[in-house]
Amino acid sequence: MEALKRIIEEHLIYKKQIFKLAKSDLIKTYRGAALGWMWAIIKPVVTIFVFWFAFNYGLRAGGDVDGYPFFLWLIAGFLPWFYMQEMITGGAGCIREHKHLVTKMKFPVSVIPTFNSLSKLVIHIGLLLITIMIFIGFGHWPDKYYLQLPLYMFMMFLFFSSWALFAGMLSAISKDFLNLVKAFNTAIFWISGIMYNVNSIDVPWIRTILHYNPVTIIASGYRHVFIDKTWFFEAYDEIKCYLIVLAIMMLLALWAYKKLYKDIPDVL
Amino acid sequence: MDNIAIKFENVTKRYKLYKSDKARFLGIFSKKIKYKENKAIDNMTFEIPRGQGVAFLGKNGAGKSTIMKMITGVSFPTEGEITVNGRVSALLELTAGFDGEFSGRENIYLKCNLMGMNDKEIKELEPAIVDFADIGDYIDQPVRTYSSGMKARLGFAINANVEPEILIVDEALSVGDKNFKKKCTNKVSEIMNSGNVTFLFVTHALETAREFCTRGIVMEKGRIVFDGDIDKAVEAYGKL
Repeated sequence: MEALKRIIEEHLIYKKQIFKLAKSDLIKTYRGAALGWMWAIIKPVVTIFVFWFAFNYGLRAGGDVDGYPFFLWLIAGFLPWFYMQEMITGGAGCIREHKHLVTKMKFPVSVIPTFNSLSKLVIHIGLLLITIMIFIGFGHWPDKYYLQLPLYMFMMFLFFSSWALFAGMLSAISKDFLNLVKAFNTAIFWISGIMYNVNSIDVPWIRTILHYNPVTIIASGYRHVFIDKTWFFEAYDEIKCYLIVLAIMMLLALWAYKKLYKDIPDVL
Repeated sequence: MDNIAIKFENVTKRYKLYKSDKARFLGIFSKKIKYKENKAIDNMTFEIPRGQGVAFLGKNGAGKSTIMKMITGVSFPTEGEITVNGRVSALLELTAGFDGEFSGRENIYLKCNLMGMNDKEIKELEPAIVDFADIGDYIDQPVRTYSSGMKARLGFAINANVEPEILIVDEALSVGDKNFKKKCTNKVSEIMNSGNVTFLFVTHALETAREFCTRGIVMEKGRIVFDGDIDKAVEAYGKL
């Protein structure tokens, strides 16, 4: 409880700096490259193209889903994945990456994952706008279901910021942990329902486990908005699973924070 | 109480030394993993009144930098309590926590923002800082291209110009060339003369210490072996 109070206090005191640092993080990532901001778009575009190509032509698995072309179904799920992917590895490395804030000046460690997550959310919003335009290009105009986008975005932000605090603290102590996370990045992609519908798995217990996978929950949330036009309260089970994994992740983050925040400046 | 800038009460700082990073990581989950303990600071108690200039003398590893880190708020004591009243501006280990990807000018903004200043205040200070650092066109180049001397100059320029209430200088004055050193010492005396600034100075340069500090704390292995008049402190340091 004390750790939670401390984290909230630190966020309140440094709320202005959080936005400044998120902004400078964005600038830092994309400046200096000849194409600058374009990189934020090029990477996702190439990824989606490769997967679409492989599935449509190589594996010939790209039939329509719910009356939408496979391509649209794919990008609806990929859109949040780009953020989540960045957060899984980038979040784990964020405290290490901002060493200078921890070891050279007074700055609360708990705030680092937050602004890191925030800067990635900005890129996510950019990609979201592009996705919406693509859907419009295919003749699917935004409708009332788009109103849930902020909710799913917030759910995603909250979970992965907590993850970044947890994993960032552990990675700051041990590089092994960071490498472990990186090694699992691709695995997480394939065991989550980004490329396929989790409900189409035949083995019930695997299906149940995958329902508790936050990546799957968020991806299907985005698909509720773009593809199958479902309200979040109709997907009651998903919200329930989300809240459970969120609570677990927050507890883990608090535990890691409480245990390590005093040690990190000495170790980094 | 209002006149106390810094107060240490029975402060102890222990570092845990694990055999390897792997052992440290496992140590998070299990108490069985063995580690050695190094007492960097051993039950220290002292007070520094507002406006005093204090030199911390001692050999390498005596715990001087650890104390400065704890006063700055970077590092936390294992036991005991530390009270700090006032805005601390610290130059720890020469670099002031710059972000290498940003230019010197942007780092001025970043650093001052983190100290809680707004853009308008920083804009007013900017010319003074740039002028003081005196690194020419490099001010708009990324800090990663800086030499250690340039980093120290910029770091000192920022820290000295943000109107600190507690100014901590850790070895920084020892890197610059003669001219810059002189500029720094002038600035420090200007700050000191202005009144209420508490100045903590970690150095091996005894002459400079004498110039600014009236009090000297001599440390050995995390303990205070002498605390008092600077001249006597320098003498005590010589005997270590």
